[in-house]
Amino acid sequence: MTLAMGNADEKLKILQVGHGEKFKKRLSDMGIYKDAQVRIIRNDIPGPLILDIKGSRLILGRGQAQKIMVEGV
Amino acid sequence: MEKIIIALAGNPNVGKSTLFNGLTGMRQHVGNWPGKTVERKEGTFKYNDYEIDVVDLPGNYSLTAYSIEEIVSRDYIVDEHPDVIVNILEAANLERNLYLTVQMLELGANVVLALNMNKAADDKGYKINADRLSKLLGIPVVKFEAIDDTGREELLQTIVKASKSPNNVINRLEYGSEIDEHIGQLEKIVNEDISGIDAPSSWIALKLLEDDDEVVEKIKESGKGQRVLSEAKKIRGHLDNIFGDDADAAITDARYGFIAGLMQESVKKPKIDKVTRSDIIDRIVTNKYLGIPIFLLIMWLTFQITFTIGDPLGGYIEEGFGLLGEAITASLGEGFLTSFLVDGIIGGVGGVLVFVPIIFLLFLILSVLEDSGYLARAAFVMDRFMHKLVGLHGKSFIPMILGFGCAVPGIMATRTLENERDRFLTMLIVPFMSCSARLPVYALIVAAFFTAYQGWVIFSLYLLGIVVAIIVASIFKKTIFKGMSAPFVMELPPYRLPTVKGAIIHMWERGVLFLRKAGTIILAVSIIIWALSSLPIGVDYASQESVTGQIGTALSPIFAPLGFGEWQATVAIIYGFLAKEVVVSTFGILYGVGEEASDEPAPSEEGTGEETSAEPASGEEISTEGASGEKTSAEGEEATAEEEEEPAPEEDAGFIAAIQSLFTPLSAYAYLVFVLLYIPCLATLAVIKRETNSWKWPAFAAGYTFVVAYVVSFIVFQGGSLLGFA
Repeated sequence: MTLAMGNADEKLKILQVGHGEKFKKRLSDMGIYKDAQVRIIRNDIPGPLILDIKGSRLILGRGQAQKIMVEGV
Repeated sequence: MEKIIIALAGNPNVGKSTLFNGLTGMRQHVGNWPGKTVERKEGTFKYNDYEIDVVDLPGNYSLTAYSIEEIVSRDYIVDEHPDVIVNILEAANLERNLYLTVQMLELGANVVLALNMNKAADDKGYKINADRLSKLLGIPVVKFEAIDDTGREELLQTIVKASKSPNNVINRLEYGSEIDEHIGQLEKIVNEDISGIDAPSSWIALKLLEDDDEVVEKIKESGKGQRVLSEAKKIRGHLDNIFGDDADAAITDARYGFIAGLMQESVKKPKIDKVTRSDIIDRIVTNKYLGIPIFLLIMWLTFQITFTIGDPLGGYIEEGFGLLGEAITASLGEGFLTSFLVDGIIGGVGGVLVFVPIIFLLFLILSVLEDSGYLARAAFVMDRFMHKLVGLHGKSFIPMILGFGCAVPGIMATRTLENERDRFLTMLIVPFMSCSARLPVYALIVAAFFTAYQGWVIFSLYLLGIVVAIIVASIFKKTIFKGMSAPFVMELPPYRLPTVKGAIIHMWERGVLFLRKAGTIILAVSIIIWALSSLPIGVDYASQESVTGQIGTALSPIFAPLGFGEWQATVAIIYGFLAKEVVVSTFGILYGVGEEASDEPAPSEEGTGEETSAEPASGEEISTEGASGEKTSAEGEEATAEEEEEPAPEEDAGFIAAIQSLFTPLSAYAYLVFVLLYIPCLATLAVIKRETNSWKWPAFAAGYTFVVAYVVSFIVFQGGSLLGFA
């Protein structure tokens, strides 16, 4: 499933980041990369998500979250 | 005295600036990195027998070639060899913060790790063993607090010590045997073939495996890079096969893997994540239903505080300039020099300085909101609207909000946008927000024509500005800024209490830019306008016979289709380019009211003046009430210091009558629309020039806003005429 489909408090593992080279790099610099673990903090408005990445909080646009494949841990 | 040069590095929001301010106080210098629009902050301080130069590097997550900030940082480390790099890390967020650290170590930098905000880490239940981390990495690790003096002494001692005996720990980094082996292989060729790049060869090798554009470019320039580049390409292909992913993803993985190893050895984490105070606040502030009301409330309070306190202060400045003008007139008598000083300099620069208190206060409150971490939440809350309406993401909303106060800070705030296209687009639409300088103009015209609908007319102009900004943005998004909307990822820093010192320094840094502008560009243009209004010698200042008057007369036919083809209206528009509120003072001068003093009346006064002329008996109270009631409905922002009640030129019934003879209600509204939309004021254009580092964008902004203003005013006037409004 995509990251955008995850529920609050769900712990997920990233399988694939389907973004272009540059943004993929950006995301990996901020801790979102293949095999990394994320926890969804907030995913209840039709806007961006809030994620827990290695203890930090990131806002990620919905469109961007839809291109990241994840699985439950 | 011995000199040490240190650089502060770290992710955004880790307390870098707080430490920088704490160390250097006001002994700072803010400039730009050569040839870049990135701010470079430097300062000095003394510690024991050392004079320490501090450079504050931009906040970065990485040292790739992703953004100018990152390139600036790594070029600095490579080219300028600071003695020590103090890498500040947020203790509660160590793992992600170490990613940047590792990359600085790859560069062979002499790094000291400074762990900040250790209490937050304690609250989360993290136990960080700094000694262990230091042993594993081979560099000093110090715990300190940026907001007070905790650990400062130890940090400084460590810095001095590190400057004496630098640590270079490149060999300690491990990327797994496969990658390490290839790095070694490539490194050998780099050593043989490449000279003149002042960076460790292992770093060059690593960057080549990551396919870093900048490094590849530099190798190509060296002329002897064929062998290296082809070998690097071969290895990358090989790694792609092995890892089933590109080589730089494998390297990223390896870095995080290395860091995970460090974490395991040196940090104890609780099994279950503790809920922090930040999280609890966020549950409310970013709540599905509460988020937007809270945001609106905070914005309303921001403007309310700014204008309630700032407006009277501006009034004092205005009075001060008025008195100064009178004093000059009294001591020098009427004459050329007096006119130059009073009409030219005080009228021009003084008119702009009146807004200094409002601008500084707005900066102060916004600094507090920013430092506390709230603005990042505002970006989250507003993202979906921005996305749908404008095609920009939430971060662009912050500059637009600032634009209601003044476009200058609004445009400066676009710095937080990483994507250049989004940044330029935001800069182009910020001037459509009705800034505080436009209010006096609205108030004057409204007083003359729209007594009964004051609030609605002003509200309609605010709304029109927003609507035009949205339409223009969506057109630009499909044309000159074509392409996908920039992806949105942003860190939510934990909430923290802003420090007084930090907020004041922050405010000062931004405010001073405005002051400097008033002292240079605005001064120069004021003089030009004054000269044009005084020449040829012998004419009355700014009369129809003066050069300005002649220009106004010559250009006025252009505005005839918009309903205001009189030369006075044209002259006011020309002057309004200096600062929009000057439109009011121009009418004042042209009709011989308020000669030297109060050129820029506060918004309230026109309302007052108007009411008095319409119902002479009703007095000030009623008008004040009426105005504030309606204005709150308008935007909240301009519900300002209506209490201020000094006599203004607009109380002159003759002046109102003159304005009424110049326009019809319809042409007056078209005029307001034009003033709202046309060419941003000089200060705004100057800041666009500064931020984009080119004349192209301010020229474009001036050109296209003129066209937009012309078209919309034309539609309003001609459409209105067709519908039978006179």
